[in-house]
Parts: sequence; structure tokens; C-alpha cells
Amino acid sequence: MAYEPGVPTLAGVSEERRLTTGQSPPPPPLRAPLAIRVEEVRKSFARYPALNDVSLDVRPGELLALLGPSGSGKTTLLRLIAGLDFPEAGAIRFDGVDVTFAAAAQRGVGFVFQQYALFRHMTVAQNISFGLDVRKRLLRPTPAVRKARVEELLKLVELDGLGGRRPAQLSGGQRQRVALARALAVEPRVLLLDEPFGALDATVRKSLRRELRRIHAATGVTTLFVTHDQDEALELADRVAVLNKGRIEQVGTPSEVYVAPASAFVAGFVGEANRFEGAVADGLFRSGSIRLPAAGIEGRAVAFVRPHTVRLAPEPGAAGSLAATLGRQVANGPLTRCEARLADGRDVEFVLSHATAEGLPPAGNAIWLTFDHGHVFAVP
Amino acid sequence: MTAVPSRTRARTDTDPLWLRVLALTLVIGFLGVMILLPLATVFVQGLSRGLAPAWAAIREHDALAALQLTLLIAAISVPFNAVFGVCASWAVAKHDFPGKSLLVSLIDLPFSVSPVVAGLIYVLVFGLQGWFGPWLQAHNISIIFAVPGIVLATIFVTFPFVARELIPLMEAQGTDEEEAAVSMGASGLMTFLRVTAPNIRWGLAYGVLLCNARAMGEFGAVSVVSGHIRGRTDTMPLHVEILYNEYDFVGAFAVAGLLCLMALGTLALKALLEIARPELDSHGV
Repeated sequence: MAYEPGVPTLAGVSEERRLTTGQSPPPPPLRAPLAIRVEEVRKSFARYPALNDVSLDVRPGELLALLGPSGSGKTTLLRLIAGLDFPEAGAIRFDGVDVTFAAAAQRGVGFVFQQYALFRHMTVAQNISFGLDVRKRLLRPTPAVRKARVEELLKLVELDGLGGRRPAQLSGGQRQRVALARALAVEPRVLLLDEPFGALDATVRKSLRRELRRIHAATGVTTLFVTHDQDEALELADRVAVLNKGRIEQVGTPSEVYVAPASAFVAGFVGEANRFEGAVADGLFRSGSIRLPAAGIEGRAVAFVRPHTVRLAPEPGAAGSLAATLGRQVANGPLTRCEARLADGRDVEFVLSHATAEGLPPAGNAIWLTFDHGHVFAVP
Repeated sequence: MTAVPSRTRARTDTDPLWLRVLALTLVIGFLGVMILLPLATVFVQGLSRGLAPAWAAIREHDALAALQLTLLIAAISVPFNAVFGVCASWAVAKHDFPGKSLLVSLIDLPFSVSPVVAGLIYVLVFGLQGWFGPWLQAHNISIIFAVPGIVLATIFVTFPFVARELIPLMEAQGTDEEEAAVSMGASGLMTFLRVTAPNIRWGLAYGVLLCNARAMGEFGAVSVVSGHIRGRTDTMPLHVEILYNEYDFVGAFAVAGLLCLMALGTLALKALLEIARPELDSHGV
């Protein structure tokens, strides 16, 4: 990808970086991955606030997922970063340069839309080449270079030979690849994807996830994608930002977010969990006969217990174990998902290894469960 | 897109035969009595004394002048409304701004206002007793009872055709493609020329044809502002009326027949467009 002089993006980027970091540098390579900083950004639409003072640091070259339920503001945040919308307060910086109100064209972003937004009257090749075709004459590569670039990108997204097709003649997965290639054609400094796999069926989804990882590795471009699918976020991203009601609840690696959720929302949204309401006193969460350690909290609280942390008690009536009635069991590969009803009527889901589940009595029989670990959060 | 028609087709197949026959008979009968028969009458009446008198009525000086004027009016008002219609629907469908619904209502106004009222509006504004009357007279500009007035009235009446055709189309297409173009660095003009315009070209052609048909046929508003000066401010519809009122039935129906042919030609073009039109304008790729 070195044949083409860089996109005119933001003048004085390297200088600015020198000023802000105070280092006298070897100048960064022409297309060094970009760092994005979102500072206390606020945006509201007619009826509801979409983003409330959101701050986020995106590291150069990382693949970051914006994860949240619909209406959490994740797409709004992506559009603000792209320059398709503008915030009411706060700032967005690319490598330290304020781009809050810069036009999309000046930011050097590649945007992949949820419904792909391919130009329906153009061929695949014309779609991909569009960003180069509309450049000002002095910055426009020659037709031969543009053609080579299109071929190269078609190869990258594994659509060689389909350049002459129209979008309507492609499958959903192929359109997605065209959209990706089109966004990459302008050599963006940041790639933004809005629900990139939302409209695809499960098999295509899986293969395209790997595809995105591969393309991200090949281009090294800082990439953000929006998703409401936690599996997608956890599997694909270097880091995940979890959004809820216009706020970022937690930013961390997939395992941090899963193992150490920062809020009740994150614990409930990322991964499966049994939810129990109760209260904490003296470092112990109590809810019915359930007891869980809970340091640093007092008063009303809510606890989340992951299905895979629930264990069978070593013997009936063991200390701290809970009596329950076994319900349905569903074998799912190496794991078996089980349902049980506690003595006080509350339902619990848990997961056992296939081997352990073999030893369970038939449904309707009494079993004893132990909860050794849960995420406990104070209820405001 | 494909699921909907197949579903409706499946349902009609299950309807009883008598119901389908009855519905079809009703529709064909109604169309025949209300539209086909009168249309045929125009040609039968026009040619009742043979081709020569009809041809003579069309070749007559005033009729030719009316034909010329009608074509001139269409040639001015249709391009104007095409440009206006594209601008208006672009603004309405692709952007959000305060007062948008008011603008849409304004665009619809010519559909709801009687054409006679439309003509009167222009008489009140530009006529001798109107707001600008004295000023216009002082500068020797005549609008009412002259060609400019007829053009204005026609533009007013045919205002909504292009915009009404394009607004739903553009709204259905959404702004994703435009945003994609902008995010890749295209300027506003470039985005319009390379993305928006190609997506609406068939709808635009359709709207222009409808607009043209109406512009050639408009009677009410034009009648008020024209002044009926034979050979100068008479359009074809007005000329038909004059001939009819003078009991020149052959002449009236001959000119009316020509007007019909022009309208039928427009319809034929429209039908051709529909056959040629690929599924490009449909919503969603």
C-alpha cells in the first residue's frame, strides 16, 4: 500500500504530537496508527440525551468494540467520531488535534454503514474507487493506479473478479466486504463500522468476524465497531467499551469486562448471570438463604452469579449449600446447561461439564448447590 | 421487496373465481364508460366529417398559434418545476430543519387549491389593480393577459408533480449513500451529482412527464390570466373551449383530439420508461 502518497488529512499532526508529548521525535511514519481521544462529549436528540459527558481513549492501532443495547448511544458516538454528526459539548481529538467540528472528509475516516449504503447504481469496482475518484485533481491518483488499488482491495476482501457486478447481484456477506473495501480505499486513519454483521446470518457472521480480524491485522488501522452482540465484541475486540443510556460504564479487555464487571449493568449485560436482589451487612451479601462475600458495600445490593461458577455441593446439606429442585437439562457440546428452582422459589441457571452432569439425578429431584463467587453491586 | 408481491399474488389465487370476475368486470366497465368512451368520442366527433376538415381546423392560424403557445408554456414551466422539484425534495427528504412540514404543505398547496383561485391570485398580485400593477405598467411590463402570466399560472398548478414524485423516493432511499460519499471526501455537489442524481433519475423522468402532461392541459388557472386573445394568449385548451362555444364542433374536437394525442404520447413515453426502468430506484440494494 505504499504506492500512493498519503491522504491529505490533518495538517500539522506530527507537530501537534510533538507539542503535546514534549518529545523530540523521530517523525512518525506517514500512516502511523491514530490515537483517538473523546473528551466529555455530549449530544442529545430532540427527545432524549444520546450521550452524557462521554470520554474514551482509543489506542493507536487497536480494535475497539462499542458494546451496548439499542439506544445506548453507541452509534451516536461512532457518528461523532466520523464527523457525520457533531456534539453539543466536549471535544474529539485525533492524535491530539481537535477535529470536533471538522468535516468528515477532512478526518480521513472509513465508515462502514449498518446497511452498507453501497451506491446501487455503480459497479463494485466503481463503489470501491469512489473515494479516490472524487479527490481534487492534484490529489487524485491516475486511473491506472486507482484500478490497481481496486484490484488490490478486491483481493484483500476476497472478491477478486467480482468488480463488474452491481451491489444488487451480491449476497449480504459480499456486500459487507465491498463496503469494507470501499471504506479502506481512501487509506483511512481510522476505520469505523456500525453493526458490521448485524444484517447477516449466523454462519456468514462468524466467517466475517475472522475476516475483520485478518484485515485489521493486515492494515493495522485503528478500528472501532459498534455492536449489541456481546459474543461479537468479546471475540473480536482488543478492548470493549460498554455503553448504557448514553454513558460508558466500563472500558477494558474482553476478559476484564467479563471477569471484573465495573457496574451492575455490565455484569448483567456482558455474559450470562443469575441476578439476586438483597442487602449487604458486615461484608456479606444476603438474599434469602444465599450468602456471598461483598467487601466495601453496605445496604441494598444486587448480586450476579455466573452460571459456570455455580457448583454442586460435595454432599447433601453441606455447609453453605442451597437446596434446590433440578429442572431441565440441555446438553450443549461439552457443557450441559441446567435449570433449578431454589427452596424459596427463585430460578437458577448453571452450567456443568458434560461428565459432571452425567451424575445428576433425573429432573424433579433434590440437589444441593453452592455459590462461591458473585459480583455484588450496591443499588443506589 | 420480492416477498410482498408474491404474498399478494398467493392471496388472490385463493379468492373465489366469481369474485375475481366480478371485480375485473367492474373495473373494466367503469374505465370503459368513464374514460375510454369519452376519449373515443373526441376522435369520432373530430373526424365526423372526415379527415380534411379536422386537418384544416388544426392548420388554421389561431390553432397553430395555440399549439405553439402550449408547447412554449410547457417548455418553460416543466424545466423550471423539474429544478425546483429536485431542490425541494432534496431539502425535504435528506435534511431536517424547522418548518419542514410547513414547506411540504406549501408544495402540496397547488393540488388542493382550485386552479381558478390560482389564476386569481396572480391577477391580484400582478394585474392592473394588483399590488405590483402600477409599477409593472410604469415599466411597460405586462404579465396578466400575456404570456408571462400564463407561464406563472402553469408553474403554480404543476408545482407539486416532480417534488411529489421524488420526496417519497428520496425518503425511502435514506441518507446512507450520501453520508458514505461525504465520509469518503466527496463535496456536497459531487455527492449530489454522483450519488443522489443517478438514484432518482427514473423517478425524475416520471415526474417530468406527469408535469408536462398537466402543463399542456391546464385550463382553469390559465383561463383566468390569459385574457383569451385569439392567436396570442390562447393555449390549446382555451382554443378548444372557444371553438366549442362558437358551435364549431369539428374544429373543437379536432384540436381536442390533437391535445389528447399529445397526452397519450406522454403516457406512452411513461409506459416505455416503466418497461425500461430497472429496479434501480427501488428502496434498498
